[in-house]
Amino acid sequence: MYYDAGRPWYVPISPAVWWGRFGAAEENKKKRKIKKNTSAKLRKRKKTTTLSLYRRRATRDELSAEAYLSRQDLPRSLSAEACRLPLSPTRDELSAEANLSRRDLGFFAGFSSLSRRRRIPPSPAVSCDLGVFPGFSSLSRRRRTPSPPKLSRCRDLGFFADFSSLSSEANENHSFNALSMSLAVESPLQSSSSGEDFAAFLDSELDLASSESSPNEENVKNDEEIDLQEQRSKRQKLEGFDTLEDLETETLVEPIEEHIGTSTAGKYVICPPHPGFFKGLCIRCGQIEEDGSGVAFGYIHKNFNIVLPYDMFHLQYLRLGNVEIERLRGADLKNLLHKKKLILILDLDHTLLNSTCFADITSDEEYLFRQIDGMKDDPDRSLFRLDTMHMLTKLRPFVHNFLKEASSFCEMYIYTMAERSYAMEIAKLLDPDKVYFESKVITQSDCTQRHQKGLDVILGAESLVVILDDTEAVWHRHKDNLIQMERYHFFASSCRQFGFNAKSLSQLMKDERESDGALATALKILKRTHQMFFDPDVASDVSTRDVRPLLKGIRQEILQGCRIVFSRVFPSKSPAQDHPIWKMAERLGATCYTEVDPSVTHIISTDTGTQKAHWAAQKKKFLVSPHWIEASNFLWQRQKEEDFPISNPRSRNS
Amino acid sequence: MFFHITLERNMQLHPRHFGPHLRDKLVAKLMKDVEGTCSGRHGFVVAITGVEDIGKGLIREGTGFVTFPVKYQAVVFRPFKGEILEAVVTMVNKMGFFAEAGPVQIFVSNHLIPDDMEFQSGDMPNYTTSDGSVKIQKDSEVRLKIIGTRVDATEIFCIGTIKDDFLGVINDPGVTA
Repeated sequence: MYYDAGRPWYVPISPAVWWGRFGAAEENKKKRKIKKNTSAKLRKRKKTTTLSLYRRRATRDELSAEAYLSRQDLPRSLSAEACRLPLSPTRDELSAEANLSRRDLGFFAGFSSLSRRRRIPPSPAVSCDLGVFPGFSSLSRRRRTPSPPKLSRCRDLGFFADFSSLSSEANENHSFNALSMSLAVESPLQSSSSGEDFAAFLDSELDLASSESSPNEENVKNDEEIDLQEQRSKRQKLEGFDTLEDLETETLVEPIEEHIGTSTAGKYVICPPHPGFFKGLCIRCGQIEEDGSGVAFGYIHKNFNIVLPYDMFHLQYLRLGNVEIERLRGADLKNLLHKKKLILILDLDHTLLNSTCFADITSDEEYLFRQIDGMKDDPDRSLFRLDTMHMLTKLRPFVHNFLKEASSFCEMYIYTMAERSYAMEIAKLLDPDKVYFESKVITQSDCTQRHQKGLDVILGAESLVVILDDTEAVWHRHKDNLIQMERYHFFASSCRQFGFNAKSLSQLMKDERESDGALATALKILKRTHQMFFDPDVASDVSTRDVRPLLKGIRQEILQGCRIVFSRVFPSKSPAQDHPIWKMAERLGATCYTEVDPSVTHIISTDTGTQKAHWAAQKKKFLVSPHWIEASNFLWQRQKEEDFPISNPRSRNS
Repeated sequence: MFFHITLERNMQLHPRHFGPHLRDKLVAKLMKDVEGTCSGRHGFVVAITGVEDIGKGLIREGTGFVTFPVKYQAVVFRPFKGEILEAVVTMVNKMGFFAEAGPVQIFVSNHLIPDDMEFQSGDMPNYTTSDGSVKIQKDSEVRLKIIGTRVDATEIFCIGTIKDDFLGVINDPGVTA
């Protein structure tokens, strides 16, 4: 820039542009210069060196530098590629950084790649026992650094350090450690495993493994290892002393000492496979539960009405691990076989009773209210009013007798998809003396799967279970144990619920007969099953028997020998075998065909005008409606074919 | 274990109680509020034995309530791990049994019941030895040792064992099979 009379001597640029241009220009110039001077490789190298050592991969150079070996002395099998291993900080480094002792690190800290460890040899003399694959994956060799600034004063640790298990097992075991000095040297593994710290256990494991797996330089290495072990055990002892001392002073932090006397800690050490939890405490060793796993068995103790805030609901229930459940099932099986009892699971709605809301009561059911008032003191009453829930309940006829008789040869459970409060009310009605169903009422909230009932919440062997329910769909996984019952429609609302236009029993002012109603039939079948199960004449061992094949066998007898062809019962498009009524007929022991045949005995049809129907009439075969099969299913008996003619208004034959 | 300790609490009193019987009303309210409750730190307050000191009341801004810091002595009950207690059995099932020692509920699982005791179900489920000499059923008294406690803000719950020496049934309820 030179002075020019015609032009101003400065160039009018805004400061931003000025600095920007200048700055950018400078930088770009610099960059270009650098780029020119350095090769691409060198640039790449330089970049990597600026990253944290922990994230960088170790090159052979570095390994040799660390190991104080020349690059040639590193084993040949070490390929350059293989050297590029990510290094994660070891526990030592982490503890040094975090200023905590190694024990107090988070459980998994430093173990993210258990494999790769930085080797920081304290002195050249010791470096040779790095072994075959330095810089590598071996769990085997861990170089111990002299421990990082270990804070001997417990107070200086974070507040929760080492209180992870509130139980003071730690304290006892430290005292054990201190006392068993002589043992520590010989068996470092033992001493560290008696310490509650899993990290210490792992450390010792690794060291032991390392002492086994190094093939070369054994003698030198062994000496070193033993030295190290001694050092370590000494350290542990010291720690033990430290923490013992500090416990006394530590009481300031924990105002009330958790522990009175020395419990026999040895007994409960078997507990790490915790069998189950109640309210967050292990039921065998009393330790606090870390996570909520296992099946919840809330129905067993909910009677106590303990209420916890919602966010702690998982702590309310008794939780059992699978091993424990299996063990209990086995014990229960033995018990029941000894007492010759089966397990009976009962559904409530439409099986043992029928309920309706006050709001759903029709005008011709009003007489029921008057009946209830008259029935106040009747011990055999079956109609009840649940005022708290605004419901009317009608127990199925024969239910009290049924329960009494069934309880003599079955252990009974209630399993319903209703709410707990409703189920407990009904249990009170059915079982006023609390004999049958004490803590055996399972409700919707106990189900592990939505809309499905399962036997996983039952503490009993599946081979003994018989289920009485009106719906098959909810017992998807246990169809073989199910005895399906005819639904009990007493109230009009119940009929409407299922889409029937017929009048309900209350509207017709009648009821099921006690003597041959559904419950009586079910009881007969149960008795028969029980008798067959515990039959002393059968050769097989009682504990290997199963109720399911027995039920199947009984069912197969019902329509034994019947050969059935269906006509106009299901659409021809879909495969006939999948139709429920086909399956039902097969379960009842009949054989079903799609085409007529001289051996066919029954034609099931909804219409008398079909070809097959005419054929049946011609050949004098049985012509029945599908209800015949359903009735046989519910009544467990082959019904008279004459009772089930086809009612077809359009048929030409009247 | 029972302790007799001094506790402090800030009691709020409605102005309608002010008058010559202020102190009595305050003490009555204290008793109503505190007796029977549980704090995680001290355990269950069983009874208040005396009021040591009532400090100067502070009128709260905005409302007419007055807050008095009250120091009182109370008997508290707090169960500890390792402690040995007598309890009354309330429920028996195949998982174990529940017992109550005053306000604290203890669960003894069947892992911690001696192996010779078997569960018998029935209308009075119980645990019985093979020779029938010892029976644990509802309402029997049992001496047990606590092996774990869980302390919430408002509740204490324990796991117990009867598998050690000198533990087990003290007294049968007198019901014969």
